[in-house]
Amino acid sequence: MSGWAQFKAILRKDLIRELRTRDMLVSMILFVLLAMVIFHYAFTVKEGADLTYFTGGMLWVTFIFAMLLGLNRSFAQEKDEHCLDGLLLCPVDRVTIFFAKTAGNLIFLLIVQAVAVPVFTLFFIERSYAGDVLPFLVVLLLADVGICALGTLLATISMNTRSRDLLLPILFLPLIVPVLIAATGATTLIFAEGAGFADLVARLLFLLGFDAVFLVAAWGTYDFAIGE
Amino acid sequence: MKKLVSAPALFAEAGICLIVGLLLGFWWAPVDASSLGFSQKIFYYHAPIAETALVAFGVAFVAAIAYLRTGRLTWDRLSYVSVRLGLLFSILVMLTGMIWGKAAWDTWWAWEPRLTTFLLVCFLYAAYWVLRSVVDEEQHRATYAAVFAIIAFIDVPITFFATRFLPEGLHPVVITTGDTGMEGSMLVSFLISMLGMTLLLAALTRRDLAIEKLKDRVADLKSTIGG
Amino acid sequence: MSIEEGVKFVASAYAIILAVLMIYYFMSARRVRALQRDVQLLEDEAKRRQGPAGGAGAE
Repeated sequence: MSGWAQFKAILRKDLIRELRTRDMLVSMILFVLLAMVIFHYAFTVKEGADLTYFTGGMLWVTFIFAMLLGLNRSFAQEKDEHCLDGLLLCPVDRVTIFFAKTAGNLIFLLIVQAVAVPVFTLFFIERSYAGDVLPFLVVLLLADVGICALGTLLATISMNTRSRDLLLPILFLPLIVPVLIAATGATTLIFAEGAGFADLVARLLFLLGFDAVFLVAAWGTYDFAIGE
Repeated sequence: MKKLVSAPALFAEAGICLIVGLLLGFWWAPVDASSLGFSQKIFYYHAPIAETALVAFGVAFVAAIAYLRTGRLTWDRLSYVSVRLGLLFSILVMLTGMIWGKAAWDTWWAWEPRLTTFLLVCFLYAAYWVLRSVVDEEQHRATYAAVFAIIAFIDVPITFFATRFLPEGLHPVVITTGDTGMEGSMLVSFLISMLGMTLLLAALTRRDLAIEKLKDRVADLKSTIGG
Repeated sequence: MSIEEGVKFVASAYAIILAVLMIYYFMSARRVRALQRDVQLLEDEAKRRQGPAGGAGAE
């Protein structure tokens, strides 16, 4: 089986499994919506408090924690059902597993975001936003790739340790801060000031660079992360 | 064998450089002309400690790669020891940075790029320690730790650049060595202190590695006797 | 900021550096002594066990 066919097969397996049970998706979506409600109560102490410059932060913090939840869930499932062990017995290139899992997680994250973002704009954005969609989507995609790549790599490691769920956030959060900074800044500028591509170039390039660097790094180290 | 291989020469050299650098910095280099004034003298150790911390993490990075390629546990020991020392130096950077901040801007903390970067670096490598503590089997622990040491080190410069995206706020970026064009005497004092700190790192690394070897010897002996 | 105040801050910064490094060094020195003692004890124990076994013991 060629690498591409293997990739598609693994991806398909993960997608079908998740779409059948919808465990991870439902939990992530519920979490994200709940988080938004909580943010409202957490930040609106004064009547008519202006959260315009908090929009990026709220959105990305929510997505990052939702991703942590999702990763914990999906990898714990894999480990308990020994799916990964079965997969490792086949002559699959380890790195293909990495890309397939990252792609799967990316798709799940995008689905969650597709639900979350409209609700978010309903709750928090006052001004009309029709023109901002394209830059925002680009930011979304770039940041998501970084989050999913790093998350998949680290989840693979943490799942094999003693305190699986607790370890993943500790490993993941310090590493993802640069993405958080760039994505939050870009998103807030888009929502608060209607920034276009011209204003966001630096941040977009940064996210692109981050993705490239860590995809390569994960590609180089995933063999070891997944163990024998 | 009982004698600890502590490389006293390294410590002596480090000590000499550090003391000389300190004396030169205080008695030869002039007081800084900018608003920092006398507090700038902290710089002569603060900056070398920062660079040395990064060197330590770099050593951990290289050792991690070496471990993954060869599987020899000595590399893992080196990586672990370097991270610990790097963490020690990073904490020192934060402490001296905060004191300097209080002296220069009358505030203990500022979300400026360098303090923030080192704060994140501390969390990053603290995570390395946590990771090591939850894996029981030796080879697995070394492997996972190595992967993380590699990823973490790549993240350090990225984090540094990312913090530049943040709004600057009230506090100006602390002097960057290139821009202010330190005059000769300042530069020389700084360089000597840098050398001293790096030698100190080498000496401590050597010593800590020897300690790890001792620990291994104890474990070996215990298993031979117990078995 | 007067020179005197500046000196206080600078002195405390250098003092902290010295203190932290010395604490680290002496804490590890204590660990070294404990380890060396352990090694000595264990080596003696190993010799003792090999003695009575008289060559039949494993190497």
